[in-house]
Amino acid sequence: MFAYAMRRLGLGATIILVAMMILFSMIYLIPGDPASVALGPRATPEMIAELRSRMGLDDPVLVQFWNFVSSAVQGNLGVEALSGRPVLTVVMEQLPFTLAMVLCSITWAVLLGIPLGCIAAVKRGGFVDRVIGVLSVAVIAVPSFVVAIYALLLFAVHLKWLPAIGAGESGNLKSQLMALILPSLAVGLGWIGYIARLVRASMLETLEAGHIRTARAFGLPERWIIYNYALRIAILPTVTLLGVGIGHMLSSSVFAEIVFARPGIGKLVYEAISTRNYPLVTGAVLVTTAFFVLVNVLADLVIGLLDPRVRASFN
Amino acid sequence: MSEQASIKPAALRARSFPGLAALRKILREPMGFFGLALVVLILASAIFADLLAMYDPTKIAPQNRFQGPSLTHLLGTDHLGRDLLSRVLYGARIALLVALGSTALSLMLGIVLGLMAGYGPRWLDAFLLLVFDAMKSFPTIMLALTIVTLAGPSMVSVVMVVVMVSVPGYARIIRTQTIAMKTAEHVTAARSMGAGTIRILRVHILPNIIGPIVILASMDVPVVIGIEAGLSFLGLGVRPPTPSWGTILNDGFANIRDSSWIVIAGGLPIILTTLGFTFLGETLRDVFDPRLKGR
Amino acid sequence: MKNNETKGFAVNRRQLLVGTGALSLSSLLFPRNASAATGGILRVRSYSDLQVLDPAFMMSQSDQDIMQAIFTKLVARPAGDEWTWAPGDVESIEQLDEKTIAFKLRDQLGFTDGFGQVTADDVKFSFERIADPATGSAYAGDWAVLKEVEVKDTLSGVIHLTGPFAPLWTTTLPGSSGLIVSRKALAEVGGKITTKPVGQSGPYIMKEWQPKQRTVLVKNPDWKYEQGAYDEIHILPIEDEKTAEMGYEAGDLDYTWTAVSSIKRLKENPPADTTVIEKPSLAFVWLGMKNTTAPLDNQNVRRAIQHAIDTAAVVDAAYYGAASTATGIIAPGLSGHRDANLFAYDPDKARELLAAEGAEGITVTLDILNKTERLTAAQVIQANLADVGINCEIRQHDSGTFWNLGGAEADPNFPLQLYLSRFSMYPDPSWATAWFTTEQIGQWNWEHFSSEEFDELNKAGQLELDEAKRDEMYKRMQDIMEESGQYVFLTHEVVGVEYRNSVAPAIMPNAMPLFDKFKPA
Repeated sequence: MFAYAMRRLGLGATIILVAMMILFSMIYLIPGDPASVALGPRATPEMIAELRSRMGLDDPVLVQFWNFVSSAVQGNLGVEALSGRPVLTVVMEQLPFTLAMVLCSITWAVLLGIPLGCIAAVKRGGFVDRVIGVLSVAVIAVPSFVVAIYALLLFAVHLKWLPAIGAGESGNLKSQLMALILPSLAVGLGWIGYIARLVRASMLETLEAGHIRTARAFGLPERWIIYNYALRIAILPTVTLLGVGIGHMLSSSVFAEIVFARPGIGKLVYEAISTRNYPLVTGAVLVTTAFFVLVNVLADLVIGLLDPRVRASFN
Repeated sequence: MSEQASIKPAALRARSFPGLAALRKILREPMGFFGLALVVLILASAIFADLLAMYDPTKIAPQNRFQGPSLTHLLGTDHLGRDLLSRVLYGARIALLVALGSTALSLMLGIVLGLMAGYGPRWLDAFLLLVFDAMKSFPTIMLALTIVTLAGPSMVSVVMVVVMVSVPGYARIIRTQTIAMKTAEHVTAARSMGAGTIRILRVHILPNIIGPIVILASMDVPVVIGIEAGLSFLGLGVRPPTPSWGTILNDGFANIRDSSWIVIAGGLPIILTTLGFTFLGETLRDVFDPRLKGR
Repeated sequence: MKNNETKGFAVNRRQLLVGTGALSLSSLLFPRNASAATGGILRVRSYSDLQVLDPAFMMSQSDQDIMQAIFTKLVARPAGDEWTWAPGDVESIEQLDEKTIAFKLRDQLGFTDGFGQVTADDVKFSFERIADPATGSAYAGDWAVLKEVEVKDTLSGVIHLTGPFAPLWTTTLPGSSGLIVSRKALAEVGGKITTKPVGQSGPYIMKEWQPKQRTVLVKNPDWKYEQGAYDEIHILPIEDEKTAEMGYEAGDLDYTWTAVSSIKRLKENPPADTTVIEKPSLAFVWLGMKNTTAPLDNQNVRRAIQHAIDTAAVVDAAYYGAASTATGIIAPGLSGHRDANLFAYDPDKARELLAAEGAEGITVTLDILNKTERLTAAQVIQANLADVGINCEIRQHDSGTFWNLGGAEADPNFPLQLYLSRFSMYPDPSWATAWFTTEQIGQWNWEHFSSEEFDELNKAGQLELDEAKRDEMYKRMQDIMEESGQYVFLTHEVVGVEYRNSVAPAIMPNAMPLFDKFKPA
């Protein structure tokens, strides 16, 4: 198991390295001079040249990449070109907001998705199953920014139950939680559908499995079988799905953060790319990619712990 | 492309496809019937948009902006006074063009790369796997943003984004199946009889693995439409005044306080298409390849 | 009319019903503070987060709005509808002759963080550092004519100029380049303030900055003069106007700018307890034509495009009737504002010109920033051009790409032909014309417009102190621009502002806020 974990982590690190290499070459190809965008209309050519060299833009791309990697290993992601603040600080300021939102979205998805999936599996083929089936696909189809805007209009503007913008007062947990409800619903709604479908499918599969049939043969009550045997096993694929899902949620967080004027990493990257603030782009993408890879490694390890076949297939 | 065309009949032959029987099987399932009906509806509105639309989808008339549904404009008008129904109908063309075109392209690339990884030397396999995993570890939106900034917003960029996002997934599945197939009896037999690599891949491996991946891809069509809508929301989608569901949605978002019909007009077809393709895909899967069910 | 009122009432009553039902339920569930402006906190929106709080290096209007509340100044900009100036934190300030200005600071001004009294030497340091090319300030031009600041004693000094400078009292002294920072404090932080201001000296001081969330200003406890009315001012950075409007309606803001396209709707149907006002803006939006490539290297083709565009329709569609058309780049109320354009909408004339040049059916590209208003305007222009037989392809860009399109290192993938742009402005005509000189080609003069007469007038305009003569000069400059066929002037836009009736805002004629002077109504 230890060897498996080490190999999996090593692979994770390599993946991050390759991802950064891809990112660097893409940035290298992007048109638009970061220095002149950053300085705005009143910049003189001398100022632009000065900033370019400060940002290290005059070096060959491989040198830039090497400089980035060697300092990133020491926890130094460089400084933002204009304000001179360390990129790591800027990213770490924003990361908790997005993580809180993603976590909250997962909560929505799990709390609503698993029961819905169970009900659908139990009532297989019935009217309730059909309705849940159609609804699950429908919520997957609605783009998260459409959910966001309607949730905003209804709950914040018309009913005034929840705040419309921002992330709440700092230090006031209740106000921060209130500010999380709507954005996380917008991001998580589609995942309620995904999880409900997945739980339904794996429940059906599990219910056919040998030990469940044995349990039935022993005359255990159906309800007990479903919630104590089947669900426990059927939930496993959900762990993997959520591991992958975090990447997608990081993507949709951009939209929620724009619509709700929330701070967060998604909006940070969006703005950084459109203003060509490259130190920030590379830093933020590195942190999110690393986070995503780590979550997936963890998910794999959990599954590997539970299922020796996975460990074997990795060799 | 011609390579692809010559492959297809073989693949379909291999996957139990005397058309009518299959169709009957699909129609017997209520979900399948519903899905097929929706897909046919969307296809028809895309193909016959010229005949069905009562207005030019790009004709502006600012004085008529934000009208609700009426007999002259069945879905109302947008912020430039353009007829929303006509835009939705023509939008189906763009949506399907982008979705089908980019999915087909991703499939082709995914198949080629997957076969290379699965059948090629070990070092190539390891290298390709690493690249696939690295590509997949970017959040979609960051890939999308960089590509669009790189190439400028247009339909081509949207297709590029979709390809970059979906190829690694397809390629991984093809690779796994190729590896499993590599040691199958008929493949080893063909190899011992001196068949070339290309021939083995084309005749003995591909037809046996292409069915499942095509079904999976058909279920990804809605995801592609979602990506297009998201990019348009950020102002990075297809070029105006081309009507696309994503741009209609974006117009609706910008003017949500003036008229809620625009968002409905843009959102409804996306939901219907998703339902259609998902249900059709699932029925296809259940009918032809129950093995895939776990996905 | 009567009909409308009844309908309005019905809607209001329904809203009332929904509102009260929700209120009782929500007050049970979530007791939130319903009235926004009571208590000592004012919550306002800014366009963007703060970036650099240093007068020499500030990046945006948002930076400036904060800085003018936390730093001392010699000359203040009063709130109201007139562009004027008033003495700032001084006992006296007067212009002795066109090259000398004498000032005496108030005696109880102090810097925070223990940097002592605000002295004439700090004034000298603040102004000369911006003017000094070694500093590398983008705003060196504001003090282009500064010779030196002579320190007479602790509080008084004399500003010596090398020559007359018209924008001095309109933009330099009342603007960010007239703010005073502490020499000692700057020495301590290495010559540049970034996001943490040191040596603050205004009626408010910055207490806290939560990046992308809010900036908190509090009353300066050591401030001895007219006190600010609010204990705290929370500035929330929200880029998207529609989001800000929603936040305002949900009660999370007390004051915000609105989208121009929302002004009409908000005026007709304002949110509860709200004043909506509309102010002329100084900014200018225009359609530019770069003259270096075919077919736009032909002046008659450019002239045809000028005639082809129905500016009234473009502006109406883009701003939903809230903004009016422009006659140039200098807004009404400033010297140099023109009464009319030279080449009006005339599609027949346009077709005629195109036919004469054999240029029917040409294709041009139109590059724009990906903002809703710009896109709407572009689509009307596209329709106008199609009407006279010109195909127009719209290309949207994010800000990073867009602002590089016309630069010296412009991207060869996007060769520029037509483009829509907007520049913001300060209340002096020299700020409008400065970007269109021959020198600016490849920087901000993307049209490659070049006229010797224009360049000379641009130089002379800055030195001319006679208002009537200045007026003539700037009018002539816009005529030259328009005659070149490279410009279609569209609009100056308007600025919409909404605020609770419990707030009495202090805003400049173009609706730029003076946060420290806001009061409860």
